[in-house]
Amino acid sequence: MSEKIAPILPDVESTPETEEEVIPSEESNTSWLGITVLLGPPGLWLILLLVLPTLVIFELSLVPGIRPGEVVNPSGLENYWRVFDAINLRVVARSLVFATGTTLLCLLTGFPVAYWIAQMAPKGWRNLLLLGFILPLWTSSLLRTYAWITILRPTGVLNTVLTTLGLPGLELLNRTPAVLIGMTYSYLPYMVLILYASLEKLDRQLLEASADLGANPLETFWKVTIPQTFPGIAAGSLLVFITGLGDFIDPELLGGASSMTISRLIYNQFLGAARNWGFGSALSMVLIFAVSAAIALLLKYGDRDVTT
Amino acid sequence: MKRRQFIQTATTAFAGLSVSGCGWTLASVNPTPSNQGSSDELYIYTWAGYTDSDLLRRFQEATGIRAVADVFDSNEAMLARLQASGGGGYSIIYPSDYMVQKMVELDLLLELDQSQLVGLERLFERFQNPSYDPQNRHSLPLSWGTTGLIYNRKLLPDLPQDWDYLWEHKEALNKRMTLLNDVREVMGASLRSQGYSYNSTNPAEIKAAYEKLRELKPAIASFTSDAWRNQILTGDLLIAMCYSSDANEVMRENPDLEYVLPLSGSSVFVDTLVIPRSAPNIKGAYAWMNFMLKPEIAAQICQRLSFSVPNKEAFAMLPPEIQNNPSLFPPDPAISRCEGLVPVSQEISELYDRYWTRLTSG
Repeated sequence: MSEKIAPILPDVESTPETEEEVIPSEESNTSWLGITVLLGPPGLWLILLLVLPTLVIFELSLVPGIRPGEVVNPSGLENYWRVFDAINLRVVARSLVFATGTTLLCLLTGFPVAYWIAQMAPKGWRNLLLLGFILPLWTSSLLRTYAWITILRPTGVLNTVLTTLGLPGLELLNRTPAVLIGMTYSYLPYMVLILYASLEKLDRQLLEASADLGANPLETFWKVTIPQTFPGIAAGSLLVFITGLGDFIDPELLGGASSMTISRLIYNQFLGAARNWGFGSALSMVLIFAVSAAIALLLKYGDRDVTT
Repeated sequence: MKRRQFIQTATTAFAGLSVSGCGWTLASVNPTPSNQGSSDELYIYTWAGYTDSDLLRRFQEATGIRAVADVFDSNEAMLARLQASGGGGYSIIYPSDYMVQKMVELDLLLELDQSQLVGLERLFERFQNPSYDPQNRHSLPLSWGTTGLIYNRKLLPDLPQDWDYLWEHKEALNKRMTLLNDVREVMGASLRSQGYSYNSTNPAEIKAAYEKLRELKPAIASFTSDAWRNQILTGDLLIAMCYSSDANEVMRENPDLEYVLPLSGSSVFVDTLVIPRSAPNIKGAYAWMNFMLKPEIAAQICQRLSFSVPNKEAFAMLPPEIQNNPSLFPPDPAISRCEGLVPVSQEISELYDRYWTRLTSG
């Protein structure tokens, strides 16, 4: 889901900038004006639309069982204890499995492709090939998920092809594999783009040196290519993991009867029958903390040149 | 939306976060004086499909009022948005029965001045005094339908009559059946199949409903209110729990599909028209209600959207094959076994929700 990326990337970009801009400001008064003009509007934007709502969610998460129309009186951590009920932990665990599985699949399928585009494909083709990867993002993610239903359903495109080839059909739809396929498809472009940026800068002379010094291709890949591109791998994996953790559409439409994830659980608390905004807010805070931790890791280990 | 109106709405939205005592009230809706807002524009908040451009054009020709329709996809989403935006500038809203009751409890709806409505007597008797809104004091019934099962006649061993069919044939139907993505409907069906009320508030009965569903769970392909449509047409699904209006729409595309209203009883829903207390154009809202009460307009809603109509004169205008379609107009004894969904207390809806989380994550 492309719209989820937006709030994540500006964070990654703006944090280092803020630090750099603040230091010279103490030296002269004129630069204060510049800072106000430059950082005022986005700062106001962030405070009004990100910080304040998050604080409201945090306050709501401290009120057990609050619904619209009731007075907000923060009274305790009850909602948070409920997150640790066995049944809700199972939901969180499933979300983690979906997100982790998607990240691994994106990495395994995305790395060879990004490597080929960055290092082996003719130079003139590269932009076109990358464009090909971004192209699906121009259509609605809902539409793309419905397309996967058409492909994966028992008498769908995939099984028609398989049976024509004399192979046994596969039961994928409404099961975990379908969710992983759908999510991997949704997030692969992000992984490929980030890995490409990292692999493009790969120093080929080092690869040649490694070969000259007697390393076989596998050793070279493991000891030279991977360490050089690690920041890209970390950035891509975390980006996919974070987005996957909050995915709503793929598990809902492809996952079948046992596909409750944390984002669907949150939706049910706000718009479903229970309408317990307090518990929904607590779940949201847990998700925000988890994602913040992941972003902290990204800032620590990710290559800033890659992410900006 | 005009700029002035936008500012007005935005102001009300902030007013929604009103401070009272030590805490603040979450998303309350304050009524706006009726003289605000323009009288030649009418903002309608409705289900997708209920209003098309042709209908809006005919309304404008008849009354000179330009109607603009926004759509929602669930009663809960509509209520949340209404509360979050302090009314949202809408003068007509299309809630379903139980939501009318909830909105009346929340004091969001204007009490209707029935002297301003022409043709209320055209409603069938059972819609004159509905339990969700006695004497239609706040709402006008527009269309109705039932919850039941759609199935492919050619692909099933024998034909379903009741909910228990799903349990009896769960091996044959394994992963070829879907239930609605709605906790109350699914639990209600299970409750009803055991002889309890669709709206049970008895924890022991609700538990029994969950236990029975858990037995069926491995055979359920998914809980969906929408994705079953294509899959039942292609034969990937054999049976799906659905609303009669959706069923009739899909049945037009494949004559092998049939709809059954389960014998032991099911739920019946009514979609209504209401005027929120925050409505800027109350006069226009009455004009819209009177327009929808016209038999020829009500009849076209039935024909175009496959909803049943509560309007006697509109029913009389329908072609015989629609009048005699039991999936649209089931016989009275069948309807008498159906219940409307009734809102339950916070405690009980939490209970339903916990079982639902358990069921969908098991």
